[in-house]
Amino acid sequence: MRLRLSTGTPDRHDLIVFGGYCVAAAVYIAIGLTWIDFLFSFWVGVLYLLVTAWLIPTAVRRIL
Amino acid sequence: MSWAAHDLEPYAFQRHLNLKVAFVPLLIGSYSPDMMSKWFVYGIHLGPWDLKASNPAQFHRGWPGVGFTHSFLFGLVICLILWKGFGSKLWGVSFLIGHWAHALTDTGDTVGTMLLFPWTFHFHLDAWAYAGQTGRMTDAAAYFSGLGGMWDLVWIVYGFFSWRVLTSDYFDNVIFRADAFWPWCNRAVPRGALLTLYRAAFFYGTSRWIAWTLWAHVIHHYPYDLSWGGPHWVPAAHP
Repeated sequence: MRLRLSTGTPDRHDLIVFGGYCVAAAVYIAIGLTWIDFLFSFWVGVLYLLVTAWLIPTAVRRIL
Repeated sequence: MSWAAHDLEPYAFQRHLNLKVAFVPLLIGSYSPDMMSKWFVYGIHLGPWDLKASNPAQFHRGWPGVGFTHSFLFGLVICLILWKGFGSKLWGVSFLIGHWAHALTDTGDTVGTMLLFPWTFHFHLDAWAYAGQTGRMTDAAAYFSGLGGMWDLVWIVYGFFSWRVLTSDYFDNVIFRADAFWPWCNRAVPRGALLTLYRAAFFYGTSRWIAWTLWAHVIHHYPYDLSWGGPHWVPAAHP
């Protein structure tokens, strides 16, 4: 199978997802600048992203 | 020494290779040369002990040392173990691509890598200063003040240019289908969590690049020096 990726433009759903990640990134950066050790670990970053980009949105969707 | 390129390069390869590579070994390959050695380069405190290489650059990139982890041969050996030993050509080749990308990227600094080990010649372009021996914080300040940080930025921009690689459609149609690892994980881990995990290295690399740039230039005012081999305010290590 041959896939071709065009750059194109993101749709509304893509932008909403991207916005969520931007918010998560802004908080991650703010924490990191306050407590620099936070930036050092890849696994801390992964865990942080799992909580903010998946766990919390999933929990909120279930509650709503 | 690169701070974010190794997080981001796999997504660029993924954009071009699609189903021909598996993302997990591609990423592991990209991280692998530094996996066991970076902590000893910067040093750690362990109770009463301070553990740090007496010559960090030599330990990290040289021989004697663990510099062979940045050679083509090391990547090839692990590739063959995965391919012939564990029967996965896909994982072997994907690992190899990620690993070789790391080894080549690190030739950009002033220490470079022994690409053709056992030949111990260091290939180095001298584009940015290797400052691992100065400790983690000074290394960060130097890296994000020179061309190394700019090289990372190239991968960030290219990653955003390749934004479709990060979408859920791409994950479902390419990443998930290319490698049985993902369906295997999906037996225990929800698909949404796996998608987040797939995006994690890009998130980590990009966020960290922004954070360290702010730390170095907004909070601490280290001077930018984008000249070749810079920043020259830090003592660069050489082979």
